[in-house]
Amino acid sequence: MEDDNSPPPPPEQQPPPPPSHTGSPTDFLKGVVGKRVIVRLTSGVDYRGILSCLDGYMNIALEQTEEHVNGVVTNRYGDAFIRGNNVLYISADEPL
Amino acid sequence: MDPSSSGIQEPFDLIRLSLSERVFVKLRGDRQLTGILHAYDGHMNLILSDVEETIMIVEVDDENATAGPKTVNVAKRKMDMLFVRGDGVILVSPPSRT
Repeated sequence: MEDDNSPPPPPEQQPPPPPSHTGSPTDFLKGVVGKRVIVRLTSGVDYRGILSCLDGYMNIALEQTEEHVNGVVTNRYGDAFIRGNNVLYISADEPL
Repeated sequence: MDPSSSGIQEPFDLIRLSLSERVFVKLRGDRQLTGILHAYDGHMNLILSDVEETIMIVEVDDENATAGPKTVNVAKRKMDMLFVRGDGVILVSPPSRT
């Protein structure tokens, strides 16, 4: 049987354009310095703020930091140093 | 790409700028400290003076065990001088500089 009833090709529902930032994890980290980030600790606590800088241990300095526990703001810090061993991930909170 | 606010090059600069200032320290085990920072090292071992420790003690009610922690008791104590082992440190926040 001719397959002229084959399903149409998928419409131009193309995947979103590839992220403009490809590269190593280090490139990502360099890219987010100075940007708003979400830092999640292994305890599940989130810190949202502006990433001032970080080092090779993933120690982090944040500005205008909000501490979120279960989605609720529990503390605010003008500056915060986070010891790197507690970090689970760093997520960009604004377009790079 | 200097951070706009201050000349912080690495995270430890934040700590260095807080020497002789009162800092807030969040520790493992639901403990917090405030004290005057006298010294630190690369492990984040700290020497603090005039310290107040705040310990959050969560008591889960047996009946409401699934409803999450309800009872929080806070214990406080003061110490004149304290050495903090660095591996217990989660966060250090300097006094707000404006």
